[in-house]
Amino acid sequence: MSQPQRVVLAKVGLDGHDRGIKVVARALRDAGMHVIYAGLWQTPEAVVRTVADEDADWLGLSLLSGAHMTLVPRVLELMKEAHLQHVGVIVGGIIPEADVPKLLEMGVAKTFGPGTSLDEILAFLQKPRERTP
Amino acid sequence: MIGDLFARMRHGDRNALSRLLSHIARGEFVDDIRSLLIPSPQAPSARVIAFTGSGGVGKSTLIGRLIPLVRAANRKIAVLACDPQSPLSGGALLGDRFRMGSTSDDGVFIRSLAALSGSSGLAKHLDLMIDALEAFGFDVIFLETVGAGQGDVAVGHHADALVLLLQPESGDDVQWEKAGVLECADVIVIHKADLPTADQTMAQVRAAIDLSPSHHIPILRVSTKLNQGHAELWQALESLPARRLRPSIARRLFQHLIESQECHLRELEAEANAELNKLLADWQAGTLSTVDAARRLSALFSRSLLASADVALRDGLAPGSRSPKASG
Repeated sequence: MSQPQRVVLAKVGLDGHDRGIKVVARALRDAGMHVIYAGLWQTPEAVVRTVADEDADWLGLSLLSGAHMTLVPRVLELMKEAHLQHVGVIVGGIIPEADVPKLLEMGVAKTFGPGTSLDEILAFLQKPRERTP
Repeated sequence: MIGDLFARMRHGDRNALSRLLSHIARGEFVDDIRSLLIPSPQAPSARVIAFTGSGGVGKSTLIGRLIPLVRAANRKIAVLACDPQSPLSGGALLGDRFRMGSTSDDGVFIRSLAALSGSSGLAKHLDLMIDALEAFGFDVIFLETVGAGQGDVAVGHHADALVLLLQPESGDDVQWEKAGVLECADVIVIHKADLPTADQTMAQVRAAIDLSPSHHIPILRVSTKLNQGHAELWQALESLPARRLRPSIARRLFQHLIESQECHLRELEAEANAELNKLLADWQAGTLSTVDAARRLSALFSRSLLASADVALRDGLAPGSRSPKASG
């Protein structure tokens, strides 16, 4: 049996809307993944530390505040500094279409906007991915 | 590969520690890691404190409030927090760390672990994880169980001290008379002590505990809501008498004993060897406790010593069979 994937889900910044991320957390749990729920109001530094200490395969960030072009690059930069480039980053929430290519260019694996089905997120995460030793 | 990872961990690479813990959690390379983790007897060892109590009593929250106090005492702290794994999907929602406050302090390490149901509220190979965190240099290690019940005492085997969290309105006075985890606690915390019936719960628990005058257990009122009692709790934990011998330490001593006796073991007869191998296999598989294994090993040694003494005696008495060494 393959080992369950470990996914850190977090909200960075001052955005207090956590219904969406909790629904995603539940879907990933029910799909057999191990979800580390880091919760609201996280700093980029704390999120990256969580990813490192939990040895996560994925980091899912949810942003509905409009601060994604400030906070996501900061998280990606800190992950690089912490030698965590092997961890895939997905972003969900309210991300204007114009910003999506910019985020992908920075190194985000995929963004999931409003109306995304849970199956779509699961299918993306369950695609085989190489784990570094 | 695992040796390389281990060396990186020993040199302070935090990501290597994190990956090592993942391997241990998944039961990979467990034997290799176990043999690498036998520390030198001089190595400073961490203080391991376990927190248990029913789901929702406030274990994670309390640990989150204790972390700054541990850091203020200039100690590095690691937390192993267990949450249940689904018996249906194998999935888990590990939601302890978000109650512990967010930090990027290098002196704090928190790992969330999934525990299968029926596993006494603990993840597998917890003892090895403790050894790894100790080897990395953490001074204090907190263990948090899954929300646990009256009979979940296994966590005590991994820790120097066991803190049991209780909350008001959780039972009548007969609850506190029951055997189980209440007898095993070193410190009892009445959490949510701001609730109106906290005094009553405190009095009932005190009365029940005092019926066994053989050992004094501190009972502390803590209210995270009112921010009261955390400093007193940390003080109580710090002032607990010298550590009990954790089974994980006993296991190491046992391993040392086996290694030091290896020459002697080679001399054991074939039958004894088979018995010894079975004993070791059972012990490593966890079906035989360390204490029982030590007892049987000791019996095996004395029997084989007696047997060889018998042979020597018989040889010595039989004419013409005296070996040159035995003569004189």
